[in-house]
Amino acid sequence: MLIQIKNLSKVYHDEEVETMALNNVSFNIKEGEFVAIMGPSGSGKSTLLHVLGFLDRHSSGEYLFDGKDSGRYSENELARIRNREMGFVFQAFNLLARTSVLENVKLPLLYSDIPQKKWDTLAKKAIEAVDLSHRINHEPAQLSGGEKQRVAIARALVLDPKIIFADEPTGNLDSKSGKTVIGILQKLNEEQGRTIILITHETNTAEHAQRIIHVVDGEIESDREVKNRHKADEEFKK
Amino acid sequence: MTLSYSFKTAVAGLKRNKSRSVLTILGIVIGITAIMLVMSLGQGAKNLIVGEIQGQVGSRVIEIAPGKQPKGPTDIFSMFSDSLKQKDVDALSQKSNVPYLSKIMPLVFGSESVVYESETYQASFYGMSDAAANMYNITVGEGRFLTEDDVKGYASVVVIGSKVQEELFSEGEDVIGKKIKIKGKNFRIIGVLEKKGSGFISFDNAMAVPYTTAQQYILGIKYFNEIIVEADSDEHVAQTIEDLKTTIRNSHNITDPEKDDFYISTQADALKMVGTVISILTLFLAVVAAISLVVGGVGIMNIMLVSVTERTREIGLRKALGATPANIMWQFLLEAVTLTLVGGLIGIILGSLFSFLASLSLSIFANLNWEFSFPVSAALLGIGVSGIVGLAFGLYPAREAAKKSPMEALRYE
Repeated sequence: MLIQIKNLSKVYHDEEVETMALNNVSFNIKEGEFVAIMGPSGSGKSTLLHVLGFLDRHSSGEYLFDGKDSGRYSENELARIRNREMGFVFQAFNLLARTSVLENVKLPLLYSDIPQKKWDTLAKKAIEAVDLSHRINHEPAQLSGGEKQRVAIARALVLDPKIIFADEPTGNLDSKSGKTVIGILQKLNEEQGRTIILITHETNTAEHAQRIIHVVDGEIESDREVKNRHKADEEFKK
Repeated sequence: MTLSYSFKTAVAGLKRNKSRSVLTILGIVIGITAIMLVMSLGQGAKNLIVGEIQGQVGSRVIEIAPGKQPKGPTDIFSMFSDSLKQKDVDALSQKSNVPYLSKIMPLVFGSESVVYESETYQASFYGMSDAAANMYNITVGEGRFLTEDDVKGYASVVVIGSKVQEELFSEGEDVIGKKIKIKGKNFRIIGVLEKKGSGFISFDNAMAVPYTTAQQYILGIKYFNEIIVEADSDEHVAQTIEDLKTTIRNSHNITDPEKDDFYISTQADALKMVGTVISILTLFLAVVAAISLVVGGVGIMNIMLVSVTERTREIGLRKALGATPANIMWQFLLEAVTLTLVGGLIGIILGSLFSFLASLSLSIFANLNWEFSFPVSAALLGIGVSGIVGLAFGLYPAREAAKKSPMEALRYE
C-alpha cells in the first residue's frame, strides 16, 4: 500500500470558528492506481489532496505513506519526500514567469541532492516526455494553456516520483488541451505504473481514472471502481 | 544546491524586477559613496598636513615650553608662564648635562604692526637665532639670515617674509638695507625669505629678529616663550629628552616630576596629534555618512517584505517542489545581500571617482600638493558594511518567507 489513511480528520481554526474540513476519512491507495477524487467546491477534496501531498498536516487520525507514519516526519523530511517521491500539477500551472521552460522544469532539481551537471539532461528528458522539446527556451507567456500544463507535468516528472497529485489540472483548459493533459496522465499511469491522484469536479474527467472517491462535506460518500473507463487516446481518434 | 546556483537564482529573481532593484540599492550606493569620499579626502588631508609639517621641521627638533603640559582649556594660560630663562639655556648648553645636543635656540614671539613710510602692516615676529634656518628649513631668497653676531650684539636687524615685503614695498623695489619701524624702533632689513606659497605652515607672513633684540626692545621680557633643541641624531632624541628634563629640574630645584613648570614635546608628538585629530574628524564624518546606510538598509527591508508578499505563490510552489524552510530563507537572504553588495560596489566606484576628481581640482584650483589616495581600508569596509546591511535587513523578510506554509502560500491570491 502506498497510501493508508485511517480516521483522518482536519480541523481549521479560523477566528475562533472551527471548520471540520475532513471528518473521519479512511481509505487505501495501492501503488500504480489511478484515483480520481470528486466533490463539489468546499467538500474538502482540496484539503484531502493537501494532506496527502504533505502540503498540510492532518489534525487527527493516521496517515501512512509508503508504510511510514507521516506524523513523525520533520519539516525538512516532508520537504524531501515532496521533492523525491511526489509530483504536483496545479490548476493555475504555477510556472515561474519570465523564466524559460527548461529552468522551470529544473526547479525541483535545485532542492534535490542530484549533482548539478545532470540537471540539464534530466530536465530535457522530462520535457521530451511531454512533447515540448521545441519550446525549451520559451517563457510561459509565449505558451498556450495546454502547453503550460504540460510544462508543469514535465516539472512534476523530472525527479521520477512514485505518485503524481493533479489538482484540477484541466480546470483552466479548453476541452482539447484538457484531453491531451489527461491523456498524458493516463499514459504515465499505464506505461510507467505511476500512481496518480486526480482532483476534479467533472465526472467526464474523473472517469479516466480506475477508481472514483466522492467527497461531500468532509466525508466519503462513495468509493467505486470505474466500469467504462474513458481512454484519452481513443477519444482523440474519434 | 550549490552557492553559485543560489546566487544565479537570486540574480534571476532580482532581474525579474529590474527597475525596482535599481531604486532599492540607491540608498546603499549613496551611503557607500559618501563614506568612500570622506575617508579618501580625510586620508588626503592627513597626508598633506603631516607632509607639510615634516617638510618644515626636522624630526630631531625638540621643543621645551614653559608651564604644565596643557590638559584642558584653563591650562592655556600656562603658555604665558615665565619659567624658562637664560640660565636654563646656559645649563642645557653644557655638554656634560645634555651630551647629544647639537643646537639650542631660545624662541620668543608675538605680533606687532610694522611701519614703512606711510604703509602699516600687522605681522607676527619671531625672536630667533641663526640656528633657526636649519631647524625650520628656512631659505633666504635675498640678502642673508640672522647671524650669531646679530644675536650677541642685540642688533636691530630683521629678515622679512615675502608677504610682508609685498605689503610694505612696491614691486621691484630693492628692500635690503631699508629701515622699517617695529614698535617705534628702527630695524634694518638684512634679508627676505623665499616664498613658500600656500601651505599650512609658512613664514611668508612673518619676520625674524634676533631673540635678544626681541626680548629687550619689542617685548620687554627676560624669559623665553620656548627653547628649541636639536639632537645630533634620530636615535638620541629619546635620551636627549630625558637629559633635558633632568637638567631643567636641577636648574629649577624641582624634585617631584608632578610639579614640573615646563613640558617637552617633539615633532613626532605634534605629528601624531595632528594625525589623530584628522583621523577622528574623518571617522566622525564617516559615521555620519554611515547613517545613510541604515536608511538604505531599511529601504531594502521594506522592498524585500513587499517582494516576499508578492511572491507568496512562488514560495508555496518552491516548497511544494521540495524546498525546505532553510532553502527559502537563503534564497531571499541572498537576494538582499546581492542587492547591497552590488550597491556597495557601485558606491566604491563612484566614491573613488568623486574623490579622484576632488583631489584633482584641489591640486589645480587650490594649488595644493594634494595626492589622491585610494582608501583600500574604506573600500573593504564598504564591502563589509554593505554585506552586513544586506544580512541584517534581509533576515527578517527572509524568515517571514521561510515561515509560510506551502498550502497557505499556494492558495494565496
